Amino acid sequence: MEKKNTKKIVIGAVILVALIAVFALCYNKFAAKSTVGAKAITIEVVDSKGDSTKYEMNTDAEYLKDAMDELADADSSFSYNGTESDYGIMVEEVNGEQAIFTEDNAYWALYVNGEYGQYGADQQPVVNEDTYTWTYEKAE
Amino acid sequence: MKKLSNPFNKKINITTKDVATIGMMVAIIEVSKFALSFMPNIELTTFWIIMFTLYFGRKAGLAIPAFILVEGAIYGMNTWWIMYLYIWPLLVIITWIFRKTESILFWSILSGIFGLCFGFLCSFVYFFIGFSTGGIRGGFATAFPWWISGIPWDFIHCVGNFTFMMVLYTPIRSVMKRFAYN
Repeated sequence: MEKKNTKKIVIGAVILVALIAVFALCYNKFAAKSTVGAKAITIEVVDSKGDSTKYEMNTDAEYLKDAMDELADADSSFSYNGTESDYGIMVEEVNGEQAIFTEDNAYWALYVNGEYGQYGADQQPVVNEDTYTWTYEKAE
Repeated sequence: MKKLSNPFNKKINITTKDVATIGMMVAIIEVSKFALSFMPNIELTTFWIIMFTLYFGRKAGLAIPAFILVEGAIYGMNTWWIMYLYIWPLLVIITWIFRKTESILFWSILSGIFGLCFGFLCSFVYFFIGFSTGGIRGGFATAFPWWISGIPWDFIHCVGNFTFMMVLYTPIRSVMKRFAYN
């Protein structure tokens, strides 16, 4: 009886170890791997002196604000700040430069591929190979 | 006590005591399941079904349909419920085959293997879901990624099942042996 049990235990242990190995191999080979980011985009900042800084990044973000958050986390030279309103975020500071309309008579304008943006940062969809430019603009 | 004969198998006679015992088995499984529900894939259902089958024999098998029905009534009958229809009876059958084995290590390994294969066994339902629209190819395309993505959870299931059996087999088995079930 004892001998029979030992045989069963050994067979069981071998099966268990074999299954663990096979499952681990299958998982490593076939599990869906996360990609670095499917969309390659450029975020550009043009400051009050007209100097441009370009940031190229890969992202899966749906909206520009999420991509900017990712960029700010990954690259310490990029930062932004703003106030939330009913219409979404109002960007008031980019890379440490403030542009509040009521205080500075200037604002941060968003351009998408050179065209004036139609949406705020949290509503602007992120599309592969697009360039999003934050430009410091003086009010006329 | 009046015995009711089972028309499907003359060898199993269900007494009122059995009916009450089946109720207790279902209650124990359900309470344990609910108590551990905050930890994904850590469960005592496998442990109890094995222990009940070792102790009550085939009568434990009668508790399984009741348990599955109660589960469906509490949580709703979705795809996982279809999986339960064959997974737990399969565990009873496997335990029944090895019922004469008295080894904590053997039952711990068996529990571990069962936990490890749980996702694989569940994926059969997804095979048929995919099969219904895309044939055999569609079946594999649905079941295989589903199983693969759940493998880390199957490892947790395996470790949980193995540990519970290692810790609880001896005390529960000794209590069960003390109270012979007639």
